[in-house]
Amino acid sequence: MRLTAVMALFPDLRETELQAWVERGWVHAQPSQEDWEFQDIDVARVRLIHDLRHDLAVQEETMPLVLSLLDQVYTLRGQMRAVARAVETQDEAVRAAILAALRE
Amino acid sequence: MKDPYEILGVQRTADEAAIHAAYRKLAKKHHPDVNPGKPDAAARFGEISAAHDLLSDKDKRARFDRGEIDAEGHEIFQQRQYYRDAPGHEQYQPAGGFSQEDLEAFFAQAFGQAGRRSDWGATGRARPGRDMQYSLTVSFVDAATGTTRRLSLPDGKTLDVRIPPGTEDGHVLRLRGQGGPGYNGAPAGDALIEITVAPDPRFHRDGDDIITDLPVTLQEAVLGTSLQVPTIHGPVKLSIPPGSGTGTRLRLRGKGIRSGHQFVQLQVVLPPGDEPELAAFLKTWTPRRSFNPREGS
Repeated sequence: MRLTAVMALFPDLRETELQAWVERGWVHAQPSQEDWEFQDIDVARVRLIHDLRHDLAVQEETMPLVLSLLDQVYTLRGQMRAVARAVETQDEAVRAAILAALRE
Repeated sequence: MKDPYEILGVQRTADEAAIHAAYRKLAKKHHPDVNPGKPDAAARFGEISAAHDLLSDKDKRARFDRGEIDAEGHEIFQQRQYYRDAPGHEQYQPAGGFSQEDLEAFFAQAFGQAGRRSDWGATGRARPGRDMQYSLTVSFVDAATGTTRRLSLPDGKTLDVRIPPGTEDGHVLRLRGQGGPGYNGAPAGDALIEITVAPDPRFHRDGDDIITDLPVTLQEAVLGTSLQVPTIHGPVKLSIPPGSGTGTRLRLRGKGIRSGHQFVQLQVVLPPGDEPELAAFLKTWTPRRSFNPREGS
């Protein structure tokens, strides 16, 4: 999705503001010939940052902290799922042993 | 959809600022992207957004208050996409992959958390229900005198919350057994209701006493009068004795919270604009007892 298409989704978002988010690395849009290319995940992230900044009045200087913590949470959840999947593929006895150990 | 005022925990008379503040507080807490592990956060957040959308639009709010429109038709908020549901979070992973330490730490945490869900309930282990958190905004007067408010819960149940007299801002009421259900015979959790007390420009609180500032004219202060003053129990007549001044404190017995009193502090206000007769009189006037108000302070 091009920059103009993303802009159209957020009537109260200025182009300079969105560009600043990309330049600060809050949104990882890929540079294209003319401007930027946004994947679905990038658009979802713009929507989240828009919520935080415009609706919930999170201060600009607090944003890196908030985004960093959010990214860590999502990363941990991804890793957790990976481990859960690994456990799933084990024999019943192994799974039971793991659960028993966790309940200690 | 439920009553938007109840969803935001505000009074029907709440002003725009109070509605906005209540919305921000709730939205920060329930934003689905901040709660990736709670599937019901999207419904709750959608409800909060829809309530705010309706009440922050003067026109829509007035039409809702008059009963011309109901709260339906705003559910569209629930259908938007959230960051947490978008694929590809790996893009935003901080540097560094699995380490042994990470693995152990989140094994402890991740599976501890998974266990709190119902999948372990099926194994027959008794688990008490979760405590649920809600917030409720009440007016200064309601908090001071006590009241009962009905709270709509996200699951459609309602809860009558008795707010005892003298409830302070930030106080958390615990309603036993009104939280999440317990598993396998364990007791239900509690409902925790955080009370926000909206400030009232007429009253301040000092323990169980109520402090009110009352502006009076020069004549009223010198000659005395009888004035109607607001109290948390309704307006009462107060007689101002002759010779009162700024700082004079009058007590309204038993008009505070519980057994407290209300104190009315007078503030003498000079007439606006020029008063040549008053100035001329003061030039020729000397008090019977001379005094210096700055002495001994």
